[in-house]
Formats: sequence, C-alpha cells, structure tokens
Amino acid sequence: MAQKRNVDDASFGDRPAKKPRSEVDEDFQPGSPHPDDHALIPRAATINLSALTRRLAYEKKDRNKPAAESVEQPAPGPSTTARPATIRIKKATKTDLVAHLFDKSDFSFMELKPDHASRPLWINPEDQTIILEGFSPIAEQAQDFLVAISEPVSRPAFMHEYKITTYSLYAAVSVGLETDDIISVLNRLSKIPVPEKIVQFIRECTVSYGKLKLVLKHNKYYVESTHPEVLQTLLKDPMVASARVVTDGTGQITTGPGGLLMTKPVQGLLANVSPQKSQTPLIGATTPMPGNTAGSIPAAKSTNQQADADLFTSVVGVDGDEVEEDDENVHSFEILDQKIDELKKRCIELDYPMLEEYDFRNDTINPNLDIDLKPITVIRPYQEKSLSKMFGNGRARSGIIVLPCGAGKTLVGITAACTIKKSCLVLCTSGVSVLQWRQQFLQWSNIHESKICVFTADQKEKFAGDAGIVVSTYSMVANTGNRSHESKKMMEFLTSREWGFVLLDEVHVVPAAMFRRVITTIKAHSKLGLTATLVREDDKIEDLNYMIGPKLYEANWMDLAAKGHIATVQCAEVWCPMSPEFYKEYLKEKSRDKMLLWCMNPNKFQSCQFLIDYHEQRGDKIIVFSDNVFALKAYARKLGKPFICGDTGQVERVRILQNFQHNPLTNTIFLSKVGDTSIDLPEATCLIQISSHFGSRRQEAQRLGRILRAKRRNDEGFNAFFYSLVSKDTQEMYYSTKRQQFLIDQGYSFKVITRLEGMERMPGLVFQTKSEQIELLGMILNATDDDRMLGSDVARGEGDLAGTVTSNSYRAPVIRTSGTLQNLSGGQHMSYIEKNKSQNKVLAANAKGMDRNKLFLNRDKESKARKKEAQKAA
Amino acid sequence: MRAIKGVLLTCDSAVKQILLTLNEKEAFIVEDLDETHVIIAPDKVERVRQALASELEKNAFSLEANVP
Repeated sequence: MAQKRNVDDASFGDRPAKKPRSEVDEDFQPGSPHPDDHALIPRAATINLSALTRRLAYEKKDRNKPAAESVEQPAPGPSTTARPATIRIKKATKTDLVAHLFDKSDFSFMELKPDHASRPLWINPEDQTIILEGFSPIAEQAQDFLVAISEPVSRPAFMHEYKITTYSLYAAVSVGLETDDIISVLNRLSKIPVPEKIVQFIRECTVSYGKLKLVLKHNKYYVESTHPEVLQTLLKDPMVASARVVTDGTGQITTGPGGLLMTKPVQGLLANVSPQKSQTPLIGATTPMPGNTAGSIPAAKSTNQQADADLFTSVVGVDGDEVEEDDENVHSFEILDQKIDELKKRCIELDYPMLEEYDFRNDTINPNLDIDLKPITVIRPYQEKSLSKMFGNGRARSGIIVLPCGAGKTLVGITAACTIKKSCLVLCTSGVSVLQWRQQFLQWSNIHESKICVFTADQKEKFAGDAGIVVSTYSMVANTGNRSHESKKMMEFLTSREWGFVLLDEVHVVPAAMFRRVITTIKAHSKLGLTATLVREDDKIEDLNYMIGPKLYEANWMDLAAKGHIATVQCAEVWCPMSPEFYKEYLKEKSRDKMLLWCMNPNKFQSCQFLIDYHEQRGDKIIVFSDNVFALKAYARKLGKPFICGDTGQVERVRILQNFQHNPLTNTIFLSKVGDTSIDLPEATCLIQISSHFGSRRQEAQRLGRILRAKRRNDEGFNAFFYSLVSKDTQEMYYSTKRQQFLIDQGYSFKVITRLEGMERMPGLVFQTKSEQIELLGMILNATDDDRMLGSDVARGEGDLAGTVTSNSYRAPVIRTSGTLQNLSGGQHMSYIEKNKSQNKVLAANAKGMDRNKLFLNRDKESKARKKEAQKAA
Repeated sequence: MRAIKGVLLTCDSAVKQILLTLNEKEAFIVEDLDETHVIIAPDKVERVRQALASELEKNAFSLEANVP
C-alpha cells in the first residue's frame, strides 16, 4: 500500500497544486453546491446522477421490466462525459438490480465525494449509525475518533459499526472535543458529506453541555452555573424545584465567590497527549483511487498533509491546557441528596446535562492519602489511554471504563485511585472479590496495610488516620434492613465523610435500586465504573449514564488480542447430535426438564471426553463449565476429574485449585457457576462449556474472560480455546447462538464443528453401548427436581450481590440436614469400598499422606497444645 | 397382498423422533423402516414438511426477531 502511495504522490507531485483540499472538505455541503464541486466533478456527472435517480425510482415502481435492459441503456447526457462520471453511472445503474432489496435503507441517491475511496466512513443519514471500513489505512485514527464521539455497536475484523448517541456526545464534549471539530473531522473522514440531520443532532446535543456543574461542597451537593438564566429555567421545572433545598425560604439563588474551578496544566502521570498521533499519516496520505481523473486532489493532499495532521491531533488528542476560568460570579443552589440521580436524569432530558468534575489537585479540604503505584508496576498503553480520558484536563470526571476481562481492569482502578490520592471507597459484588481487590491494592501500590480496610459481613474495620481506602460490597452499603451494631457504626463512618473517589466494580450487574441507594448515601466527588461487558439482558444499561456518568473508554477486544495484551481465542461451537432415545424423551418432557437431557446427552459426554483428551495431550490446562450441578458431578465422576461446585468446602477448593495450578497430572477441572467470576485461574488455556445459563450473553463473555489472561503459550496461531458443546436440534441451539452475540459484536467468530474427527476410534470412550446410554437416561429421568434445577448451587454469603454468583439466588438458601443415600444403604460401613470414586477425594487422600512430614506434623501438634494451654491460662 | 403408495423419507435420527411424535397427533407414517428411514403417506408430505419446519424453527435464533 505504502509503495503504491509513493508512486502516486510522485506522479502527481509535478502538477500545479490546485485548491488546498481541506477547504473543499469542510465546505462541502449537500444542497449548496460549492464552486469547487464543479471544478472537480464534471457537470455532466451531476446531471446524469439525478436523471438516474429519477429513473431508478421509476423502475422501482415498474419492476416487471427486465433489469438487464436498463444496464444496457446508454446514459443520457452529453457524450463528452468525463471518466469518473462514467464510473459513477455504471455503479448507479448496477444498483438498480438490487436497490429494491434495501427498501428504506437504500441511500444510493447520496452523492459520494470524488475521493471517497480514501475515506473510511459511511454515515447513515436516518439513524446515527456510522460504518467504518476497518481495512482502511487510517482506520486506527478514525477508530480513536469514533470511540470518543460514539458508541461501538459491533466490531468484527473489517467492518465496524458505531452509533452516535446523546450520551456519547456528552462524553465527547466532556473530554474536551468541540462541536465544530467533531463535525469537521467527521466530514473529513466521511465518504459522503455529513448529512444535515446528523450535524444538527450533534449541535443540539453539545451546545448546552458544560453550563451546569454538580459539585460537592462540605458534604452537600450544589448545582452551579455561571449562567444564572440557565438555573432559572431549570428551577421552573417542577421536578428540579422539588429537589432543591430551600434553606431560609427566600428562594434566592445564592451567589458565591467566583472562579471556583481553577485549572492548571497537568503534569505527571496522565497528562501526555498520545504523541504517536502527530506522526501518523492521515487522510491526506492515503492512496487515491486508481484512475481517478480528478487529479487535483492528490496533489493538494500532499501539500496540506501537515495541516491535516495538526488539526486531527488537536481534535482527537486530549487538550491538556484547556483553560476554563470564568471570572464571573458562580451561581448555585443546593439539592437534596436523595434526589441526585433523578435530578441528573431530568437535566439530561432538559438538554442541560450536568458536568461532574473533581478538581482533586486543588482540593485542600479533604486530606490527602499517601498512595502511589509501585515503581515496578507497568501500565499498558490502552490502560493509560482509558485513564487519560478520565483525567484529560487535570480533573477527575466520573464515568465508566469498559475493558475485557483479564485486561487489567483492577490496575486501571488502582491507578485512578493513586492519581486522585484522596480517600477511596471500592465497591464490588462479592465477598471474594473484596479480598481480591484489597490484595491487588497491596500488590500494585505502596499503600500501607493499615490504610486499607475491608467492610464485609465478617470483617468491619476502619482505617487509621484521616484518609484511607475501604473495600466493601454493594449490598453491604446499600442494605437498609436491620443490621448489627457494628455495621451501623461502620455505615455512619462511611456516610459521614466525603470521599474523593468511588470505584464501582462490575457495574453492569448492580440493580438500579441498589445503585441509587449507594449513590445517594455515599458522598463522592468522582466515580469510576469498571466493567467488561456493558450488556444487560434487561436493557437497564441506560440508567448507568446518569447514575455514574458517560462511557469514557471502551477497548477493542480484537485490538488488544492482536497486540498480545489478552489471549487470542479460537471459539468453536461443537454440535453433538442427540441420541434417539434421549431425543425421544426430550420431545416428551416439559420445557423445564429438558435441560438435563440436553446437557447429559451421551454424545456430548463423548465429545467432552474427546476434547479433554486431545487438549491434555497438547499440554493445555482445561476448565469445563457446567451450570447444572447434577450434570457437573456426573461428568466429573465419569471422566475421573476433580470438580468444584457450591458445596465444595473451602479447604477442598484450595487443594483442587492448587493441584490444577502446580500438579502436571491434574490438567482438567470441572467448575460450576462458582467459577464464572470468583475464582481466578490464570493457568487455564482451554475452556469447554457443557451447560450454561440460557441465553446469557454476559455469562458467555465472563467465561471467555477466564482464559483471556492466558498468555503462557505463545505458539503461532491461537493460544486459547473456547468450546461450547451444544446438543443438536434442541433449545440449546437457540440459546447458544443468542449467547454468542456479544462476543460476535466484539469481533470473535465461532467455528461450528459438526463432527469431531477420530472420536469413534478413541480408546475408552464413555457410553459407547446402547445399554450404557439407556442406563444413563434412566438415571436422569429418576433425578429429583432439585437436581434438575439450574444453579441453585452457589451458596450466598451475606453481602454478596444477588445475581452475581448465582442466578436464582433471590430465594433464601435452603439448608438440608437429612442423611445421604450412601448413609442409608450402608455406604458408610467399614466393609464398603467405593469404586467410581470422586477425584476430589483421591486428591484429598493424597494430600493427607504426602503434604506434611511427620516432623512437621508433630510440631503442629505441639504448637496446638501450646496454644490451648495459653488459652486456658488466659 | 395389497400395495400401499408411500414416499420414502430419509432423515437423521433426531428428526425421526420428531416425526414419531408428530405421528402421534396425526398418523402419516406407513412404515417405520429403521433409524433414518420411514415411509409416509404421499398426501401428507406437504403437511409433514411444514410441521417439521416449524418444529425445527423453534431452536433457531435469528437476529431479526430481536431487533424491532
């Protein structure tokens, strides 16, 4: 490509340079033909095009006409038609054949810019969709820009789809982009002049942004503005008026001292302006369409290249020195804490979105926290990029950062906390991740252990000194019911102070009501939400926009994989035919009970065994996921592998995980839902799922995240594998496709495997005979209802968020105390030997014998005895 | 011996199970040959085809159905 470009540049270089190209671009508007248009496009072309459009419409009505005929017809117009015009006509006539297929989305009437081939964007004038040609040489720059102003919808390898929304535009403006710059860059990249509708939309959304500020002063929220008329209009709204705190009944807007927000250029950690951008070739440097006779354009391009580059950088790069010093008086009114989020929502509806920025460097009221990243901590470029969106102008703005699992979300959060250096509250979804966060803080930053504390059901600590970090769960903070004395004390502690920074982990799972409580009770200057999958099956994602803030950054999974930050994954869907006996029962069963049949399908058993065997020989570490615990146990037992599910004890869990990590003989483990989030398994390189939670896209993404961290094997090609085993002709097919949608939008492709080569010949294949299969079927049909239930497996700890660890955890957990069947049938008797033993027990038995030397065992005993004595004495 | 007209239908084993359940509602199978073959009444072919298609359609996920 580069080669070609040079040649072109050289050949056009000696021509007299015509109009600078940028002028043509920016003024190019539909409906108002610029004089330059006529210079570039022969008049004939325009005439022909409109004539053709007319004919196209005519032919649409009369489709009986043979279409081939129309292609042959000579285009009306003067015979001296220039070459690009002929190309155009041919294109237009060709679309006739297919135009009717597109119906309303047929935009072939729109005029392409003469040099459209070198521009990467298509803009849909009707909705705000933008299509990016991912293969374009300037796609990367265009992508940076698009991520800033719009929301990615789908990003496979070659064609990316983005959508401009109100929220995305707010985000764009909040990171310092100007309305006119957005429009001009969009115009620069677009193949067609930016439609008037879009321009208007962008203007409408961005014009009023930044006039209102929400600030936290002395533990009270105020709405501030330098424009009193804005506040007046706002207060006319009944909702806003009701949210206002009227202190002395005068109803006057208080006027405070001016210049509240002082800016200064940022130094240090996050102020760099992505320097690589200024060096990269931009539109001007791209290859012009071969045979394009409008030769003036490439010529102009090379001359204007530098100017282009400068403009582009200034727009896309984050401007550090943006000064926003208003010397006028700042007007403000106080608002009720409980109404904060309603107010924010209302303001967005009123087109006056509130700016939430925290000038932490100039905050002298709140004590500083002594925290810094350890020198060995390395931040990856994309992490830095995401943070530069947050701290773009030296202040912290609230928002959400979306990074794939395993890409180091935690480190982003920690770095943000280290930048703000104020008291920080971290909220996560479960007790397990609370401990993980604490541990990560200690690992990456130099924070003192006494400054970071945990608030969970078991531990309620307060940090020493006047600034520190508290890690807790959403439900601990949001709980409104009865709580213990200690919890109450702790909550008072949390609510009484001002927090510099609140970190919200896994924001996509938190129910809106709970979130509201958290946000209204905790007073924080800035909030950062972290998530991997900004999808919810109930489409409550919108709410996050005003509860936390706009999406600041969303990483491109494929990009990260290509750069080696996360593993490249080969995804496959393996179709396992249902055996006739199973399918017969499947057709008979009620819908609820069908599930067990499709996940226990003997062909699936075999495929699973085959894949495990294949990958173990390759040297992979394999996780098998099953939501259904009954199936999980049956599989693990039959295939002789250890498993972890909800009722696996902590000691056993740790032992199994340790074996998986270090023991070369334990290469496979079976996990129930517990493995979805709370267990960290960096070793795994292969993942097989045999049963899953219906069509949950989130679970699919989370599970994929389990192997994204894997970079141990850097062989050529793929280094991680993700298999979904699906029983053919069942409902599972439907769910499986639905589940994949999110990952497909991220650019993953699923290979469908209909037959595993060599499976029949595998020695020791399970369930080979009909009688074995029928026996299995009998066992399934006799399974109790509890066994069939999906995911009632993970016991909920107090403080764990509903829906994060288990799916139907809204019921109270049931504790059963009856004896086991083994017990009743004399299985506990001395003379009984279990044949098909669970691998868990084998590991346990081994551990007992080998782990400790007799010497240490004796020592343990002694120390225990000593402790006892000491206790007695005390 | 009386000859009965029939259409030979070749299918995979799962589809055959669907056919058998459909047959319970409305008989159309003339002869059940083996795992993958059945002979069905010629006048019912169209209806069987439709019933089967709608049955299999239930398990297919289409993006269009979810986009309003």
